[in-house]
Amino acid sequence: MVQINLPQNSKVQKGKYYKDTTGSKNIRKVNIYRWDPSSGENPRIDTYEVDMDNCPSKVLDLLNKIKNEIDPSIAYRRSCAHGVCGSCAMNMDGKNGLACTKPHKEIKGDINIYPLPHLKVQKDLIGDLSTLYKQYASVEPWLKVSKKNEEKENLQSVKDRSKLDGLYECIMCACCSTACPSYWWNGDKYLGPAVLLQAYRWIIDSRDEDRKERLKKVADELKLYRCHTIMNCTNACPKGLNPAKAIASIKKMLATS
Amino acid sequence: MKNDNPLSPHIQIYNWHISSLVSISHRITGIINVIIITLICVWVALLFLGSTNYDLIQNFFGTYFGKFLIVSTVWSFSFQILCEIRHLFWDFGYGFEIRTSNITGILVIFGSIFLTILIFGKNIIL
Repeated sequence: MVQINLPQNSKVQKGKYYKDTTGSKNIRKVNIYRWDPSSGENPRIDTYEVDMDNCPSKVLDLLNKIKNEIDPSIAYRRSCAHGVCGSCAMNMDGKNGLACTKPHKEIKGDINIYPLPHLKVQKDLIGDLSTLYKQYASVEPWLKVSKKNEEKENLQSVKDRSKLDGLYECIMCACCSTACPSYWWNGDKYLGPAVLLQAYRWIIDSRDEDRKERLKKVADELKLYRCHTIMNCTNACPKGLNPAKAIASIKKMLATS
Repeated sequence: MKNDNPLSPHIQIYNWHISSLVSISHRITGIINVIIITLICVWVALLFLGSTNYDLIQNFFGTYFGKFLIVSTVWSFSFQILCEIRHLFWDFGYGFEIRTSNITGILVIFGSIFLTILIFGKNIIL
């Protein structure tokens, strides 16, 4: 259901202000979404003044600096720090992306950092992605082969392999799905760009023998056709992939098969 | 299990892109067009009932508000048509690159204005 306004318990309030203590001349304000499950209060925006002279280039470095030097209570996910694991996906400057690959220099004015949009917040910048993972499991993202083909080597031509380019690189960071207005309003039923791109990745794999079943499963008014080509997914993808095109390819396959 | 955790902000904080802006306008003009077509049908039906009705509507379209309605109707339909053409290309699998979609989006916006001017020409000013 389309609900433009946030529910009462999600309304964001003004939070604390952390003044700079280093005396640096190169200061930037960083506004970060905070919510503590133990407090029982509404979410708030805390503002931090950060000394940019001693801060490495990426937004994740900025967050690490704040956590290490200003406020250790802030919570966010991060792991690899070079755009491979997808843990630090968040909303920076009104756009989803990976904090570890987004340079803070690209952001003009104050730096606003929110969790991924339209998720149940677990703490601060950590959103609950369990629905998305369940949907991911529902497309059965593994190779399906018949018994007789299980024993021998499963070869793939260079041409068939190249069909997976632009699909296999997906790291499931959920930037695209949580950027999609359709997924915001129908996230419980619509699979969303990330999962549909994965579904397509298995549909198009020449080694997979379950293509028909996979297509049949995904051909659903709500699961697939809630995509209205808004293109927020492609605009958000930090790996430069094109979920909108993958979804269109599924639609095209369904229309022509 | 009921989850009372807050919902993270979404449309309140998300940046608008050309593609999302055109997409939502496409939907809104679609709804408006359905209403307009219904009104046109009512208008035609009224014409059968006599010349007083004709005069009444004619006078209404003579007012500034009436003219504004006509111009917006034409824009709304132009926008819709161009969007649909864009969607047709998408259905064939073309134009999904960010750059291309931005260009076609801008083309749709300016094209719809251009079409409106083309259809009305000097009548807009009068």
